[in-house]
Amino acid sequence: MNEDDVTLDAVRSMAADIGMTRLSDEHLQQLLRATKAARARRNLVKVETLGPADEPAHVYRLKQEEK
Amino acid sequence: MTDVAFLTLAEASELLRNKKLSPVEYARALIERIEKYDKSLNAFLRFTPELALADARRTEAEIGRGEWRGPLHGVPYGLKDIIDYEGLPTTAHSKILKDNVAKADAAVAQKLRAAGGVFMGKLSTHEFAIGGPSFDLPWPPARNPWNRDYFCGGSSSGSGAATAAGFLPVALGTDTGGSVRNPASMCGVVGIKPTYGLVSRRGVMPLAFSLDHVGPLTRTVRDNALVLELVAGHDRLDPGSAEDTPVTFTGELDRGVEGLRIGVIRHFYTRDMQADPEMTAGIDAAVMKLADLGAHVREIETAPLAEYIACNRVILTSEAFAVHENWMRERPQDYGALARERLMAGAFVRAADYVNATRLRRKLADAFHALFKNVDVVVTASSMDPACRIDDPAAVEYTYARQARAPFNVTGSPALSVPAGFSRNGLPLSIQLVGRPFGEALVYRVAHAYERAAGWTQRHPTLT
Repeated sequence: MNEDDVTLDAVRSMAADIGMTRLSDEHLQQLLRATKAARARRNLVKVETLGPADEPAHVYRLKQEEK
Repeated sequence: MTDVAFLTLAEASELLRNKKLSPVEYARALIERIEKYDKSLNAFLRFTPELALADARRTEAEIGRGEWRGPLHGVPYGLKDIIDYEGLPTTAHSKILKDNVAKADAAVAQKLRAAGGVFMGKLSTHEFAIGGPSFDLPWPPARNPWNRDYFCGGSSSGSGAATAAGFLPVALGTDTGGSVRNPASMCGVVGIKPTYGLVSRRGVMPLAFSLDHVGPLTRTVRDNALVLELVAGHDRLDPGSAEDTPVTFTGELDRGVEGLRIGVIRHFYTRDMQADPEMTAGIDAAVMKLADLGAHVREIETAPLAEYIACNRVILTSEAFAVHENWMRERPQDYGALARERLMAGAFVRAADYVNATRLRRKLADAFHALFKNVDVVVTASSMDPACRIDDPAAVEYTYARQARAPFNVTGSPALSVPAGFSRNGLPLSIQLVGRPFGEALVYRVAHAYERAAGWTQRHPTLT
């Protein structure tokens, strides 16, 4: 299955997997729209421009202990 | 009593310092104005005139004794209601936090209190700084003072509306994808998203940790720089706080733009998105004005707007969902529809997608910062369109995404929205000026020169 072809049943199941079991039908419709929109945006992140050594923006940085 | 509603912070401060204006009379005049007009604008979510008068009386006594604390002493201000003020609820405009009383001031609230400001209340926002304008929340959305049928931008909606309406000369907002600069653009005021790490976020309800910024909205550039001087600075209790930050932003304001190199990112609003023709004309006229003032203006290019926005949104929704996951499990029905749907977008983002967005962020930021080898300040669009009607959800959704602000949350750069005229139907137009990290002083200098030459900030809405 193309993961962009997400269905209402699929998001209901995915929501249940992460404990979101109190969603109404209206909420699930919202979750479906939101998930599709998020996946469309994900496809605009140009990962092909990234090399293996390109680091995330917020790599943890330690400070010397304060004296 | 003279009309004090549209005194700038700098003007009011001078009058207060010289005892030509009483803090109590000043506060009373603005309280009267808010009571008269805010019923139709909803800029305030929680108006606190009793606290304001107590602050005003205290500052009047201090100034009377010659204890001058600086430019905010005796001046009214307000806080977006995701910023903690001790003893008052921080609701984030949400039923979920309706009774969330702050135990301490946010770092920025502490600073404004210490500066002798007169606290007037908490200002409307979009729910959790993401879902609005909404009519299904415990409080109504703020409206645009230039035309109350129109959207005032967000998410720092009340901060923009209150400053434009002459309720306050100073308000603080927050900006994760453009939420200070959007209401500044829509309401015709000045709003800055400072460099990431310049202003502490301690005590501010997070939307997305790595993109959140606190910044002032004011009616003039000088006022904005004055307030930033008060709230900027290292905070060891904010993990994102930068060390050794600049502390003065007003020193170079009057030096003009002669010889400065201005880079215009025109492709954001002409190729990547097609801005409304009136907005494009306003931006182009502003750029010509800067050239007339002696700046060296040239067009520059950066990555396409869509890449920046996608990067911003993947990071924003992922981090925001991490904050909201438990409430989404337990109380999904207590969100307004807009916030719920926008926050749900982070529910199923893959970990690799989030990490890749942050890797792309570093590349985009490094490439953008490198542009400043050849330019001093960048100019581009803030909003692509003037404000739309607040009762038209399709128009709100359409214009919500049509902006060039999110790139600078990704790069962390200082970015300032400044008024650039008015549309044919009387709604504000705007430009955005962007600097190198911690280059706020230069951004303000260019903005101040433009503001003085253009004169747009002399115009104010007529409230009825």
